[in-house]
Amino acid sequence: MTTTPNSPATGAPPLRIRGLRAGYGTRVILDGVDLYVPAGEIHVVLGGSGCGKSTLLRAATGLERPWAGSVELFGEPLDWTQGRPADESFLKIGVLFQGGAMISSLNVEENVALPLRIHYPDLPRAALRELAHLKLQQVSLDGAGLKMPGELSGGMRKRAGLARALAADPALLFCDEPSAGLDPVTSRGLDDLLLELRETLGITMVVVTHELDSIRAIADRITFLSTGKVIFEGTLEEAASGPEEVRDFLNRQPSSPGTASADVIAFHLES
Amino acid sequence: MSAPSTTLLTVPAAMTPAVVTDLSKRAGEILRGGGDVHLDCAALVRLDSLGLAFLTSLHRQAEAGGHKLVLHALQEAPAAVLAKAPAHPAEGEETPVPKLFEAVGGGAYALALEWKDVALLLSESLYHSTLGWRKPKTLLRGEAVTQMIRLGSTAISIVLLLSTLIGFTLALQSGLQLEKYGAAIFLADGIGISMITEIGPLMTAVILAGRSGSAITAELATMTVQEEVSALRAMAANPFQFLVIPRFWALTVTQPLLTVASALSGIFSGMVVALLFFNIAPQAFLNQLQGGVEIKYVFQMLVKSVTFAWLIVFIATVKGLGVRGGADAVGRAATDCVVTCIFAIVLADALFSFFFYL
Repeated sequence: MTTTPNSPATGAPPLRIRGLRAGYGTRVILDGVDLYVPAGEIHVVLGGSGCGKSTLLRAATGLERPWAGSVELFGEPLDWTQGRPADESFLKIGVLFQGGAMISSLNVEENVALPLRIHYPDLPRAALRELAHLKLQQVSLDGAGLKMPGELSGGMRKRAGLARALAADPALLFCDEPSAGLDPVTSRGLDDLLLELRETLGITMVVVTHELDSIRAIADRITFLSTGKVIFEGTLEEAASGPEEVRDFLNRQPSSPGTASADVIAFHLES
Repeated sequence: MSAPSTTLLTVPAAMTPAVVTDLSKRAGEILRGGGDVHLDCAALVRLDSLGLAFLTSLHRQAEAGGHKLVLHALQEAPAAVLAKAPAHPAEGEETPVPKLFEAVGGGAYALALEWKDVALLLSESLYHSTLGWRKPKTLLRGEAVTQMIRLGSTAISIVLLLSTLIGFTLALQSGLQLEKYGAAIFLADGIGISMITEIGPLMTAVILAGRSGSAITAELATMTVQEEVSALRAMAANPFQFLVIPRFWALTVTQPLLTVASALSGIFSGMVVALLFFNIAPQAFLNQLQGGVEIKYVFQMLVKSVTFAWLIVFIATVKGLGVRGGADAVGRAATDCVVTCIFAIVLADALFSFFFYL
């Protein structure tokens, strides 16, 4: 690879979140979340279902307006005064959505080239096709370029989504549940791919997931969310001596044990 | 309290749904009569989930009424299952019933938030399809033409068919009345003016609202639900430019054309009715039409049709992109879109009548 990530020259961290509060309607989802991701790190955000992982990702990428708190991408805060962040904020990041989120009316190749085609409509078609080919090769999907998203399997759609997220060489990549719903082999392949991308392109990644194997394979540091709050932040080794809920989660232990024997009905029995 | 009943209900080998229904009725009668429920479980060998749930609920019901459920000669296997019965009834997070002020305030706040979203969507759609249309960097070449074909030209057959039928009915009904006064020739004026200023624009708009409006909403809503719109946003593409402008231009161009086609087909079928039923020659019909229809009517038709097209696009866009939730939300949005479109079209038509004729 000869491309270089377009990370700004400043030493500012790719992502810094302070005191984030967010929710839907009157329901609080995130309650004062801080997150700091230095350059080159694969940072995994984890937690049980409904703990606010996806909302955190949507707020961090500027897709959801938080109630309070700040999100800084490469030292520049997301500005919501215009109703939504400026286009420039999005140019530095790539997002891999849970289902791939391929535009269903465009084929895979057009989807992958879309981030560039949108901003530079006069780019020669041949170059865009070549770029799509290159990115699809990176995610081991060459040959699928002319297929429509509907013709791809779940895992292929995710890899195509990853190719598109990488098309503009972002310096920061967000992944929403990259391995959810995939078989263990495909899932492992995707993890390896993320590691390789970090190795070759030096991309900083924020990965939201609750797949334990995946976390063990890729995470430099983890942030553990529970009911909208960060209850642990650190490496996996540190997590081993972290809060009980984090340890239980990483050891696949249910935090609240099932019905205890004392907690059952005593029926009136007569022989 | 009456004397405790000692009726022993016999439980068969398995607690099938039929058995549970029957036992539940009989046990209920005993409890209402003020006695304890005694079940003879000697024959019971298999206790499944339904049986467990039934015995648990019966136990709670009996305890609540100050009575007892007594199980006689319970075998080991069902007893082991019974040992899993949770002591506490199912608890859900009960939504507290809000007080009047809370309910009114919360409702108003939620409504304000919703309208804020709608206003934002509407203003963006309006901006990008009017002032901002010259910056079509996200407009894919050929997309507007594709949309014209999909949303507009494929509707021509249904528009022609319905307009012809309405023209036929209208001409026949009004012709019969006019004939009484020997004024059947004025049929041409009546049909011409009503098809051009009212029926043509209105029928076309209603058909397109049902056909294209719902299609736009369903497509955009599905894209929203599947995060495709978020993906566009994350690529720093403006979803409004990408999705709304092609549809806006598609309907802005095709709807007036369809309206003209609708009016012409209605007038044509009026001419046929005039010839067949009232013996008016086509030439006489056309002469009368020429004298009666002024150019301002045609202008009114075009203004109306473009306005209706914009109403359809904006309502469909706002409903489609504003969707939250899953597949059910997509269906609701499409229905909502058609209802709102038709309401807005009829309302706008009424306002036009007011301005054009007063």
